[in-house]
Amino acid sequence: MKQPLVQLQNVQLRNDRGDFVFRDLNFTLQPEQSAVIAGSAGSGKTTLVELLTGVRFASVGSVEVFGHLLKKGRRSAIRKVRRQIGGIGGPFGLMPLLSVAENITLPLVLAGLRKKDQRERLFKVLTEYSLLKQASEYPPSLTRVENTLTQFARASIANQPLLIIDEPMAGLDKNTWERVHQVLQKVALSGRSMLILTSDLPSQELPQTTYYQLVNGVLQ
Amino acid sequence: MIRLAFIFRELGRNLYRHPGTALGSILSLTLLFLLFNLFWVAAGTSETFYRDLLSELRMEAYIGEDVPDSIATSLTNEIYAIEGIVAAAYVSKHQARAELADQLGVDLLIGYDSLNPLPRSYVLTLDSDMLTSSDMEQISHRLKAIDGIDDVAYSKRFLEKAESTRALILQVGLALGVIILLTALITSSNSIRLMTRARAVGFRQMMLLGASKSFVAMPFVIEGFLIGGLSAVFSWMVVLYGHSRVAFTQLTIVIPTREDILVFCAAAALVGAISGFLGIIRSMK
Repeated sequence: MKQPLVQLQNVQLRNDRGDFVFRDLNFTLQPEQSAVIAGSAGSGKTTLVELLTGVRFASVGSVEVFGHLLKKGRRSAIRKVRRQIGGIGGPFGLMPLLSVAENITLPLVLAGLRKKDQRERLFKVLTEYSLLKQASEYPPSLTRVENTLTQFARASIANQPLLIIDEPMAGLDKNTWERVHQVLQKVALSGRSMLILTSDLPSQELPQTTYYQLVNGVLQ
Repeated sequence: MIRLAFIFRELGRNLYRHPGTALGSILSLTLLFLLFNLFWVAAGTSETFYRDLLSELRMEAYIGEDVPDSIATSLTNEIYAIEGIVAAAYVSKHQARAELADQLGVDLLIGYDSLNPLPRSYVLTLDSDMLTSSDMEQISHRLKAIDGIDDVAYSKRFLEKAESTRALILQVGLALGVIILLTALITSSNSIRLMTRARAVGFRQMMLLGASKSFVAMPFVIEGFLIGGLSAVFSWMVVLYGHSRVAFTQLTIVIPTREDILVFCAAAALVGAISGFLGIIRSMK
């Protein structure tokens, strides 16, 4: 059996006021599988992203991503995990001082990929996400859809095995929503795993995807 | 290599976007270092002046009137036995009279040859390491203990005053150094903090993609290094230019050696790098 990409066991976490964010969270995501976790605002979706990326740590229970146990102080493991995750939305914004092309190629820079290979991959994803014209623009001048597509392009360029997408549909108009949904379908079929955290469940189901509800700190 | 290129591009971007902040830091640090350099030159010059004066310092041991000449001239062995004395020249009454006449331009004792009141003496040259008030005091005591030596004279007051002035210069130098070090640290870390404040979110996003803290901090550390190093270089350029224009005939201005200046510039660059790191570290929390 393959090692799960994500495994959360009996995770408990309290916020600064001492209230439970997660009471007993158990969740497993296998390779080539995707999951959608839906929850209302304040249900802990972004906190879950923070747990999976080593920004916050469970007070009880364990969080394993790509086989690495995420604990405070394990910086090297956290960095390795983060480099295998393509992040979109929520905390994974674009860097305003970097151009679209620079934002997209940043995961390749961090991986130390050669300039020539970077350019080839950049051209490919810019074409794929129709961002060729915006390559030299800066994030503040992008439209909302261009911004989202740039994040998708950045999350795709290094072929990371897991995409974490925080609120992909929030505030999108119908046309943009359809475009993003197409992209999500394409990723789901590509064999890469996705973890989508959303307030609104997509009306059309995504292939090979399991759906969960996050209620009172527990997954249902 | 790829990461290094990115780091240097980030550095260029910082300087391009905040030229005023960078220039302001360079100017204020140049001024600070200039103050320190001037003090360094002044301290070095006064130290050389002091050493020149000391090299002319002599000690004189006077021989008692009742000591026969045969004994007086044979005290040399006992004098040389005292640690720190490198030369002892015997001065007879006759030589003392001739020296006095030479200094005054007239021999006051003409016609009173048998009444020469000037004492016989030994003029002593001391080891340069022993030219301190405490060492000279000790030598003086040991000389006085020799049978036949009546009194010992040297510029005790001058020496004590010169030593206290030298100690004061050292203390002021140290205090100035500490103040300038702290000011340099605060000034450059503040300007780097100003540059990074608006970018804290970007740093967190970069780290979420797997960038290490050192990768994010490196452009700012290099920037601090450059600001500190360049300011030190500029401040020495000002001093050296001034030195080439000003010429004193009475006093030799002592400029630190090239190696010392290089070490100073490297230290200033290091202080800049540390302040760059201090400036960025808060934005990465």
